[in-house]
This record gives sequence, C-alpha cells and structure tokens, in this order.
Amino acid sequence: MPDTADPAAPTEAWVAPTWEQVVRDHSARVYRLAYRLSGNPQDAEDLTQETFVRVFRSLADFSPGTFEGWLHRITTNLFLDMVRRRQRIRFDALPEDTERLPGTAPSPEQVYSDTHLDPQVQAALDALSPEFRVAVVLCDIEGLTYEEIAATLGIKLGTVRSRIHRGRVQLREALAHLAPRRPVSGRDAVPEGSAG
Amino acid sequence: MNIPESHLAQEAIAALVDGELACGPAARAARHLAGCAQCRMAVQAQREAKEALHASSDVAVPGDLLSRLRAIPFTADVPGPGSLAAGPGQLTVSGATGAWSVSLDPAPAAADRPGQARWLRRGFIGALGVLGAGVTSLALNLPTDGPDDVRPSTVARAGLEERTEIVPPVVRTTTVGTGGVQRSADQGGTP
Repeated sequence: MPDTADPAAPTEAWVAPTWEQVVRDHSARVYRLAYRLSGNPQDAEDLTQETFVRVFRSLADFSPGTFEGWLHRITTNLFLDMVRRRQRIRFDALPEDTERLPGTAPSPEQVYSDTHLDPQVQAALDALSPEFRVAVVLCDIEGLTYEEIAATLGIKLGTVRSRIHRGRVQLREALAHLAPRRPVSGRDAVPEGSAG
Repeated sequence: MNIPESHLAQEAIAALVDGELACGPAARAARHLAGCAQCRMAVQAQREAKEALHASSDVAVPGDLLSRLRAIPFTADVPGPGSLAAGPGQLTVSGATGAWSVSLDPAPAAADRPGQARWLRRGFIGALGVLGAGVTSLALNLPTDGPDDVRPSTVARAGLEERTEIVPPVVRTTTVGTGGVQRSADQGGTP
C-alpha cells in the first residue's frame, strides 16, 4: 500500500520496508518463479524459503532499486545450484528415487490446481535443460528484457538470445510430443501468397 | 531482391518475437519474412511457445510457507557485520546502508494476514470506545434515585478513561434496581 503502488508520493527518501512487507510484496513472485523452474511444489517451497533467508541475511547490505532483480538472481542461482547438486548426486550412482517419496510427486491435477499452469506446459518446461528453462521462464513468464536476463544470469546478450530461441524450440517440440492434437504447424497464422 | 540470400539467424528470430530487435534489423527481418515461408514458420513457432507460457496465471503461495517466511527473522541466524537490535515491539536489523525493522507482534493466530494485528488492536480500542459510549447512554437513562449519588457524567468519564474499568459501574447498577435497569437497558441499547 505505501510503496510503489502510489505514484503521487515522491520518492524523496527510500524507506526500508518491514519484513512483513517484503514477504507480502515479493513472496508470490518468488514462489511462482521457483515453481516454474523446479516444476514441483516441494522444491518451489524450499527454493522460496532459501531465497528469503538469503534476502534476510543480506538485506542490511541491500542497495535500493533493484529488489526484483535481486530476487530473480537469488532464486535462479539457487535453482541452478540445486540442479547441479542433484546431477552430481545422480552421477554418484545413488538410486534415483531417494530424493522424493513416490507419494509426494504431485499429480497433473494437483499441479494445475496449485499453479493454474497447463500441466503439459509445465511438463514441457521440465523437459528443457535448466539453463534454457531459466532463460525462457524469465523471458516469457516473468517478462524480463534480454538485458535484464543477461544481468540476472551473468551471461552475454547473444547467449540469452540463443538460449531463449533454442529453449522455445525444444518447448514446442515437447508440447507437440505431449499433445499431438495441438496444431504443430503455424502456417495458418501467416498470410499465404508469396511462395516464391 | 526476391530470393533471400540467407535466412534469419535464430537469435534474430527470438529477438524479433520479443521485440528486442533494433529498428534497422527489425525492418530488414520484416522484409525477409515477407518472402520466406520457412522463416515465417520459425517465427510463428517461437510465438506459440511464448504464448503457451504466457497464458499461465498467478500462483498462490501456500499458507504454511507464508508463515514460515514471516518467521525467518526469528528462525534464521544472521552472520556478518549486520546487527540486530530488539526494541519494544520490533526488531531492527541494521547494516551499512540502512536499517530494517521487523515487527515483533507475535499474534500467531492472526498471522495469516499482514497488518491485521494492528487493525485488530485499533478495532478493539474502537469497540471499547463504542462500549464506553453505550455505558454513557445507559448511565444517562438510569434512574437517578440510587443510593450512591454518582452523577452520570463522572460514570461516563470513568468508563472512557479507564477501559478496563467499564464493567464495574454496570455491575454496580444492576444491584440498584433490577426492574429499572432492565428497562433502561432496553432503551439505551448497549451495542
């Protein structure tokens, strides 16, 4: 209420929000991002919790103005760390179902009721490699510009472009594979005529 | 001019869909697309993937996660140079660039709504005020032939000033005359 939503109030001095406000204003975005990236509520909760712990620990050193970008960066880095850690664990040849009990894996209906994201879309997202997934999610769900994505992930603009492109190509292939009834060809949306 | 010499680069296709191409390259890409069905399909494929993701709506944060997030100031340890200071009703985390205050209002029962405790308290005080007004009207309607010659205004002021002392005058008046109190209570209408 007292923060960015009020354009009439001039920003004469930055007033530190209370922790309540931080949680209230940012938890939904962080949780959504964590959910889209991890693909399941358990990991999303863990990632969100860890993100806010990091925020709390370093909020005294926080410089105003980049809160959203800061949160994006923490969440995506924690996600990529988690993925790499699990890849290492898998590489060490542990049985692959030690991490999650079979009963806790959410059904597609559960995922939909939690996220309102088409379970096929989430499944297609999950099929992407983590680096592509992060780029596509930040672009198409979080609405970041390429420049912001480059800053968030610490990669070059050209890398952002190519990851988004390849991520979307893979996403669309996965969607077509999951739902063959979906129109795969986009020809109908393009005006015909020049077949030169 | 009619035959495109090279197709659009993949990066350019993504950037075009996201509106991330500068004017010059965007115009060149549009010219190319006009004559190249293959690139048009590639652009359309990018759009479809983008729209599939874009159609997703917001996610609700689970309630227990929210309360865990709110509890972080009390559950997480803070290493480093930042300092913690506990004041009346709040915790202040200060560091190089400023200080953050954390409300210490426990209110675990009402923890599912931020700021509710404050409103609750304000509402409670308001209710006490209304109750005091009710006592005033009740006192004004009371039969004044009571044994102790307490004037209604002093009763009312006592009720307003000391909120915890609202009950005694009412209790005392019930001992005066039950019939009269019954009647006046009906008239006065304590909210």
